Amino acid sequence: MQIRLQVERSDPASGETRLQLYELELRREATLLDCLEQIKDELDGTLAFRRSCREGICGSCAVRIDGRTALACRTPVAELVAGGRLPTIAPIGNLPVVRDLVVEMEPMWQKMRAVEPFLRPTSEPSGDGRETVVPPARLEAVRKEALCINCGACVSECDAMSVSPEFLGPHALAKAWRFVGDPREEETRPRLKGLSGEHGIWECTRCYLCNERCPKGVDPRDAIAKLGAEAFAVGLVRDRGARHAKWFVTSARTTGWLRESELVVKTLGIAVSVTKIPLALRLFRRGKAPLPLPRHKASELQPARELRRIVAGQDRRGAQGIVQGERVLESIELVRAPERPAPEAEDF
Amino acid sequence: MGSLRGAIVYGLEDVESSHDVLVIGAGCAGMRAAIEAYDAGADVALVSKLHPTRSHSGAARGGINAALGNAGADSPEQHAADTVKGSDYLGDQDAIELFCAEAPADIYQLERWGALFDRDAEGRLAQRAFGGAGTPRTVHAADVTGHVLLQVMYEQLLARGIYVYEEYFAWRLVLGDEGCEGVLAWDLARGGVRALAAKAVILATGGSGRVYHGSTNAHACTADGMAMALRAGLPLEDLEFVQFHPTTLFPSGLLVTEAVRGEGGYLLNSSGARFMRHYAPEAMELASRDVVSRGEQTEIDEGRSVEGSLLLDMRHFGREKMLERFHGTRDLALTYAGIDPLERPIPVRPGAHYHMGGVATNVDGRTEIANVFAAGEVACVSLHGANRLGGNSLMETIVFGRRAGRAAAEEALGKSGGAELGPSARSGGEREIVKLLERREGERPRSIRDELGASMHENFGVFREEGKMRRQLELLEDLRERYQQVLVEDKGEVWNSDLTQALELGFQLDLAVCMVSAGLERRESRGAHSRPEDYPERDDQNFLKHSLVRWSNDWLDLSWKPVTITRWQPRRRAY
Repeated sequence: MQIRLQVERSDPASGETRLQLYELELRREATLLDCLEQIKDELDGTLAFRRSCREGICGSCAVRIDGRTALACRTPVAELVAGGRLPTIAPIGNLPVVRDLVVEMEPMWQKMRAVEPFLRPTSEPSGDGRETVVPPARLEAVRKEALCINCGACVSECDAMSVSPEFLGPHALAKAWRFVGDPREEETRPRLKGLSGEHGIWECTRCYLCNERCPKGVDPRDAIAKLGAEAFAVGLVRDRGARHAKWFVTSARTTGWLRESELVVKTLGIAVSVTKIPLALRLFRRGKAPLPLPRHKASELQPARELRRIVAGQDRRGAQGIVQGERVLESIELVRAPERPAPEAEDF
Repeated sequence: MGSLRGAIVYGLEDVESSHDVLVIGAGCAGMRAAIEAYDAGADVALVSKLHPTRSHSGAARGGINAALGNAGADSPEQHAADTVKGSDYLGDQDAIELFCAEAPADIYQLERWGALFDRDAEGRLAQRAFGGAGTPRTVHAADVTGHVLLQVMYEQLLARGIYVYEEYFAWRLVLGDEGCEGVLAWDLARGGVRALAAKAVILATGGSGRVYHGSTNAHACTADGMAMALRAGLPLEDLEFVQFHPTTLFPSGLLVTEAVRGEGGYLLNSSGARFMRHYAPEAMELASRDVVSRGEQTEIDEGRSVEGSLLLDMRHFGREKMLERFHGTRDLALTYAGIDPLERPIPVRPGAHYHMGGVATNVDGRTEIANVFAAGEVACVSLHGANRLGGNSLMETIVFGRRAGRAAAEEALGKSGGAELGPSARSGGEREIVKLLERREGERPRSIRDELGASMHENFGVFREEGKMRRQLELLEDLRERYQQVLVEDKGEVWNSDLTQALELGFQLDLAVCMVSAGLERRESRGAHSRPEDYPERDDQNFLKHSLVRWSNDWLDLSWKPVTITRWQPRRRAY
């Protein structure tokens, strides 16, 4: 199979970046990593990239393929060039580039260390010196987060991090939930307090790209949601982010819609809100926000209230993601999007 | 080239470091060793060519063995008896007994550190049955046990603030009057040779699977520590014993879980027959790994394969079972072989999986050089003897990683003064690197590596035989000759993996020579070393002993040492 692709190369000394075209012959079932290996072995020994396990376990080889982050070793190259496309391979985003496809991971590790990613059981081991007895279902709360391989795909895709580089981000927060949600952890509240501050839980913009791109199904955004719910459950509700979230719920429950003008006041408080009046006026004028009066109200309140009832009915286990997905799916009638037409068969 | 030499030699004076204990390799064994050395009061750091959580320990799936007795009566004695038998009586029984006795407490500690092991209905650690074990003994975390342990080790490392020289490629032990004085490493991220001094060094670099073309091992498993020890004059033990896994996916070599056969998958030859009925009429596809691998290899050798592969058929599982229980396997086949196992059988063949042999150590990881230690797959205690039982290797990383860490800390703390490395140590390493980088013409590593991998399969694979092994030694001589002119195309300093991959190839070539030499001298069939043509039987009279290979004066010296037997006299190994 003939392959053509472009790789974003960068010179560590000058910092200059250029696209380099490679053409090579590969076996049909080759992955993008096989392709990079072959380029390095046969065409260009200077191409730099990380790799080790070649089976999606070690997390070394995340790259951006036409802007989407994926593990090179899990990406069949035939898919990339289907239909005569010329894919562009670039280093992952939101981390400084060292050389070619290699990025500096240290900023990501720093944030991971900041959440103190290790279990802190303070009580004594059980009397018989054996394992802590834990009902299996309770460990389900952190099962997905424990699958993280630190590949950085979520960090690469995170919109909030690109705007606010200090945001802890999906990787560190998923790791944080791994411990907050562990039934053996005994420092839950202090952890949540730390995570609720600036650049923490509430800085996530809920774009869900981390969930979408995670190669291991960790679903970092879900972990962030669980952290938020748990922070509420232990009474950490005074942070702006928490107040913002709380008002979303209140607003939806009472009028079925989000009332933006009130949202600002409820989140920022009266004093700060006053300073935002010029901005608000501009928004009203441009039609970007509805006027505060008359109250913005949905014609039908029932669906919003029903949704809230379902979620609330799941209790804490729901908030921890143990039952949420399944129950909600059971309770909601899904409207399926029409299936996309199958792509035309390609000759590879 | 002047500027290059200048940068390497003069630019980096400020990064010299010294520690009490330096651990090379940051997989489960290395990290466990570092944690223990730290807890024993030593100043410890790790050196790893990968970020710790990228280590190959993370690929271990099935589980970790300890006689907890949570799923049926069990005892360390029973665990030991199973391990002795599994080793085809080549394991040292004192080491095995100690290992089995200490394993349970280590499991409880891992649990307390946060390891997310699966639970039984009562909330205790669940244990599953594994090959060669008389009772369910394997503690597990779904099919990602190695991953879970690797994370826990790293978490405990962070909890202690232990420093890791990340993406430092260690390639030479520095020897002096006081034994080992430290290591030389190439700093991948910045470029340049770093000299790291230590009062004690622990090798924990893992296995050597990449010596073979078809291997379940990661690209990083290139025998680094074994070759470094060899070049430092240390003996390597039982190198002829390599475990082959019967179901590795062609062409990638990735492991297809044993559960596929456990759940009733068929192995077919080119005429669609379930050939295992000739090799294990009772157990069929469920026979032990070595038996199935040998059956497959016989089919391949006798021309009943499909282009060198056998076919693993799961079509009769049906859609529901496939999607529910073997989603991962189907995904693997789709991604890496382009085949949907619902529609077609998948091509598999035996692939190199685990190296039982390694750097000869005692139960404290100690080698012949008083301050050099080894633990994990790089070492040979000998726990696995001629054949490893599934689930024992992860446990080995923990038990013997811990013991090596403790012993190395005590060794280092017993020495007065700081660790030091003379300036000549680094300049010697720099000369080697500069010479490699300055070469403008030569052969790229690829062809040498490919020939090494393919020929090792052909001549030192599942079956061995005098003539083939002799041919392989000649071929290796030729490859080593060609390696003298290996060409590193990348002349840069920052992230020059072209350089480190060339150095890795040098490790692999050295190790391959030792493996085949030891295999040639072992004139019997035992465990993973199978010589059906010339020596089909086990020979306890002459070969109930460990092989030891060492370099001395540019010559391979092969000797033997006795097996330690405590309670279990050798008997025929049958299941």
